[in-house]
Amino acid sequence: MRYLAHRLIHATLLLLAISFFSFALLQLAPGDYFDSMRLNPQMSRQTLTGMRSEYGLDRPLPVRYGHWLVSLLHGQLGVSLASRGPVAPVLRVRARNTLVLSGTATLFAWLLALPIGIWSATKRGGWADRIWSVATSALLTIPDLVLFLGLLLLAIRTGWFPTGGMRTEAAADLGLWSSAKDFALHLILPAFGVALVSLPVLVRHIRAAMIEALDSPFLRAARGHGIPNSRLLFRYALPAASNPLISLLGFSVATMLSVSALAEIVLSWPGLGPLLVESILSRDVYVVVAIVMLSSVFLVAGNLFADLLLFASDPRIRME
Amino acid sequence: MTHRHKLWGALILLACFHALVFFAGFFAPYDFATHNRELAFAPPTRIHFVDAQGKFHARPFVYGLKNDPANSGIYATDSTQVYPVHFFERGSAYKLAGIFPSRLHLFGVDDPGRIFLMGTDAFGRDQFSRFLYGGRISLMAGWIAAGLSLLIGIIVGTLAGFYGGWIDQILMRGGELFLALPWLYLLFAVRAALPLHIAEWQVFLLLIAVMGLIGWARPARLIRGVVLSAKERNFVLAARGFGASDAYVICRHVLPQTYGVVLTQMTLLIPQYVLAEVTLSFLGLGVSEPMPSWGTLLAALQQYYVLSSFWWMFLPALFLIPVFLLYYAAADALQERLSSVPL
Amino acid sequence: MQRVRFWNYFAVLAAAIICIGSAAIAAQSDAGEERMVAESASGRAGGRLVIAMRSEPKTLNPVLAQDAPSRDVIRCLTADLIHINRASQETEPALAKSWTESRDGRQYTLRLRRGLRFSDGQPLDADDVVFSFQVYLDEKIDSPQRDLLVVGGKPISVAKVDQYTVRFEMAQPYAAAERLFDGIAILPRHLLESVYRKGGFSDAWNISVAPSEFAGLGPFRLKEYVPGQRIVLERNPYYWKQDQSGRRLPYLDQVVFLFVASEDAQVIRFQAGDADILTRFSAENFAVLEKQQEAKHYHLDDLGAGLEYNFFFFNLNSVDSKALPEIARKQAWFQDKRFRQAVSDAIDRDSIVRLVYNGRATSLWTQVTPGNRLWIDPGIPHPAMSVTHARELLQSAGFSWKSDGALVDSHGSPVEFSILTSSSNAQRVKIATLIQDDLSKLGINVQIASLEFHTMVDRLLTTHDYEAAVMGLVSGDADPTSEMNVWMSSGDTHLWHPNQTQPATPWEAEMDRLMQQQLITLDYAKRKRLYDRVQETVADELPVICLVSPNILVGASDRVGNFHPAILDPYTLWNIDQLYIQ
Repeated sequence: MRYLAHRLIHATLLLLAISFFSFALLQLAPGDYFDSMRLNPQMSRQTLTGMRSEYGLDRPLPVRYGHWLVSLLHGQLGVSLASRGPVAPVLRVRARNTLVLSGTATLFAWLLALPIGIWSATKRGGWADRIWSVATSALLTIPDLVLFLGLLLLAIRTGWFPTGGMRTEAAADLGLWSSAKDFALHLILPAFGVALVSLPVLVRHIRAAMIEALDSPFLRAARGHGIPNSRLLFRYALPAASNPLISLLGFSVATMLSVSALAEIVLSWPGLGPLLVESILSRDVYVVVAIVMLSSVFLVAGNLFADLLLFASDPRIRME
Repeated sequence: MTHRHKLWGALILLACFHALVFFAGFFAPYDFATHNRELAFAPPTRIHFVDAQGKFHARPFVYGLKNDPANSGIYATDSTQVYPVHFFERGSAYKLAGIFPSRLHLFGVDDPGRIFLMGTDAFGRDQFSRFLYGGRISLMAGWIAAGLSLLIGIIVGTLAGFYGGWIDQILMRGGELFLALPWLYLLFAVRAALPLHIAEWQVFLLLIAVMGLIGWARPARLIRGVVLSAKERNFVLAARGFGASDAYVICRHVLPQTYGVVLTQMTLLIPQYVLAEVTLSFLGLGVSEPMPSWGTLLAALQQYYVLSSFWWMFLPALFLIPVFLLYYAAADALQERLSSVPL
Repeated sequence: MQRVRFWNYFAVLAAAIICIGSAAIAAQSDAGEERMVAESASGRAGGRLVIAMRSEPKTLNPVLAQDAPSRDVIRCLTADLIHINRASQETEPALAKSWTESRDGRQYTLRLRRGLRFSDGQPLDADDVVFSFQVYLDEKIDSPQRDLLVVGGKPISVAKVDQYTVRFEMAQPYAAAERLFDGIAILPRHLLESVYRKGGFSDAWNISVAPSEFAGLGPFRLKEYVPGQRIVLERNPYYWKQDQSGRRLPYLDQVVFLFVASEDAQVIRFQAGDADILTRFSAENFAVLEKQQEAKHYHLDDLGAGLEYNFFFFNLNSVDSKALPEIARKQAWFQDKRFRQAVSDAIDRDSIVRLVYNGRATSLWTQVTPGNRLWIDPGIPHPAMSVTHARELLQSAGFSWKSDGALVDSHGSPVEFSILTSSSNAQRVKIATLIQDDLSKLGINVQIASLEFHTMVDRLLTTHDYEAAVMGLVSGDADPTSEMNVWMSSGDTHLWHPNQTQPATPWEAEMDRLMQQQLITLDYAKRKRLYDRVQETVADELPVICLVSPNILVGASDRVGNFHPAILDPYTLWNIDQLYIQ
């Protein structure tokens, strides 16, 4: 319990620091949101000055940060300059979509990586190991962007998959089952893409962890006792290899989030990624800070979750 | 011993490839900025040995291209115009390795013929030449950024691992903070602060250098781990016991332990920084026209009409795969060697 | 094809003129409701129209909206008093069935249609109109449209005459007065007044407003908004137009705006059949889509030049020679008219049209595009590209060439400069790349600095730390009044030298005078002559070197009926009340 409290305090301090420094960084870049309107021949400078002061952009950084903290306490995360409304409701739906995508992708990735990693580890040095090693290395070298563009092209050319969004307009009229099917079809391509990107690293780690477990003295002893191979693998080696894998799960949240952002942009998934790019380019500062904060929260939560899992699964850690 | 062969094989091939890029002026038939406005988005030129009459020629040749005026972007080969490929030919001026002025090119065809091994882009510029020239800036960017990340990573990681305690706490928490911040704004700010008459490629290298400076957190964490285990080793403990200074112990005994990790990280980071430019150019911070880079060549694919209409624009991406594969193979071999060398 | 389109326009134009002449055409129906009769062919009721938008609308508040997606949606939800017919480019009656103008041109009296209702069933009267203008003119609200309603330095005054009559008064006669009313949405006083009095108007009707709290006079009303995905509109049963057979418009039951992240995503969704209408896309994408027109059951239209003009210009600001010595030195070249003319002569506009726009654009030598039928000056010369002429001009201006072909000025320093563009606009970066190559033929070494948009604007308008730039502007309206801020030397978007206190050059003083004069001249022919002289000055003095105007490209599924795209914003959706699904 003390451990958990300690971790939570640490996480909160980290998030506060992130938010403050994000604010400071945003200050550095030239121009603000309203500058884009300066090229509109029908708007005067007085109007823009009025808008700036309405949103407090003319005030010093500490004051703005203070205001933001107050609005954070109200659960609003500041005001979006673009939509002139609180940031939180805009983010909520998009964050959910991003989580659905990364969650599904994580599931896909592990479902693929576990058998491949275990298989490679058991046949170490054999042809299967080599083939998988080459395949995953090749996958690692394909730039993410090119991979997603390839998937997009596949969807466009074959017509097997929808080319973006989360649902087809007509499907909603056809009842629950078809709209669920429609949603799954929309999800599958981006999720598969994200899974493919994170696959090589996962496979490597799983293989390494399994090899270490298989080489350990207790497993050699178990093998010497004539325990059948399959039982050896799943009953003994896998649990022994699970510790590093659980930490890996926590860490992979970070990569999943950044990879999904790109997938969302290329394959038009309505998540946080496209919003982040749009807000960065338009200098919608509070939205940027909110997304940075949100992804940091996901990150911290992912690590915490992994640690708690470790805590639960490994008696040695519990003792400490 | 196989990993040793693997390592050397990868390194030699990488060296060849770097030479190709370094002497781009010689290997590329054209300048990267030369427009062929009548030949925009021309497909790769086919190289023939057998002519229309079925006769075999020892010297390869190419046919001229005809632009269909009613259908822009559709080209037909004109088998009446024959241009043999010459080797070691004099063509456009360039500076070999950026220093020696020269006009000698490995291959080329006589005007008005053109040879485009990888097709052309929207201005009819030779993609093959652009690919080679683009490697110069991209590889340089990758090396600089990876080098800087690792340099800071080594300093921070060693300090944190060696001294532990509050230094460790501050440095590692700082690293976590660094990983989460929206650094793009710093890049925007740096770009905005630079005067416009600085050459664009210099601006870009500066931006990549800033990215490298920011990217120390991950390598630092790895190096810290190595240092942590290194400092518990007997010979380190012994050296400290004999009263050796911290600086001596770090330089003499601890740092050498990290070289393996550093080299492995270097080979992994270079491709990553080369690709980081794709993101930069997405946000308007990439290399400006007409200078090519691998990042901008890839970024061109994002445009739907390029993606769907001109397959040869995928070729740069395809050619990057073996290059990166070599880098990763080198990393792999280094790692295997590391784990098999008894310490 | 071209001919048919012309006659279509002609028919609509004629209809519009008749409409203004005798507003009594409006049909008297059941409850004394004076509905307007739409001219187009009658269609089939029902169905859903899906449109993919490049980005999410930011707000549904018509007073505050300034981004294109928001305005597109709001236009479907609201209506104005006098409307610009996008096909004829002329004004036509909307909520006001007729109006009269005082002899001095300062007073307009508008009579509203009787018996109209907002989409929530509440009646419309003059109080709503007065309230709406009060909000638009409120300085505390900062409406982007407020500046349009300030004429001669004073806001328009609005007074209710009776329940259905409103009088507008301006400080000075204003030539484009009727056009002012276009896009000023009439707001429901019953829903917004209390919010406004409490000072909360800026937060009202934001994008997540509940449909029950929103009402307008447009053909549709709000049904549902899903962040990041779509906004759904449904038919407004109280809409005030009917077709010729007396059926109340609109035909469509639902309009769905899908949000996608980019133009390419928009194109892809349209190609896949997920969206019915595609507006404003690049010529390259036009070429991609063109191949599948038959197979995928859609058709594309090239409407010719729109109102966008792209141009190249030099920094002519009076910069501080201490802070920016390099630029101050180069301005000696930039300020020489012959230098600018030489650059204009050396630019190959045909190449820009062909390579950047696949031929779907028009070369320009002045700011008014061929799409602006009422205001283009046919007398502007179109000199062909000529490097020789450019070299002669440079020579006469004291420039010379070194042995390696590099251009040097009279002091012997090489002529080099950088071109600023926004990296988010692929076309303009391409234009800059072509100009760079063209000017190398004059021995000028040009660098391209494509910066992220905000950084570019900052340099352009705040620090003036740039040498030359490629930019584009889209006139909000065909009328020159919408360009006041660009051509007046005091204007904020007088890009080459904004916010001058005194005109820096005699020709800028002359342009100021001409622009002021046309603003208060009521006779079209006289105004046209004044604006022609502005165009001639631009073509002659070249403060901006006009290059090219991209064609307006649109597409629609074959299912969409009454599809009559126009070159004025909103291009395809301006007659959404008459669109139908076959």
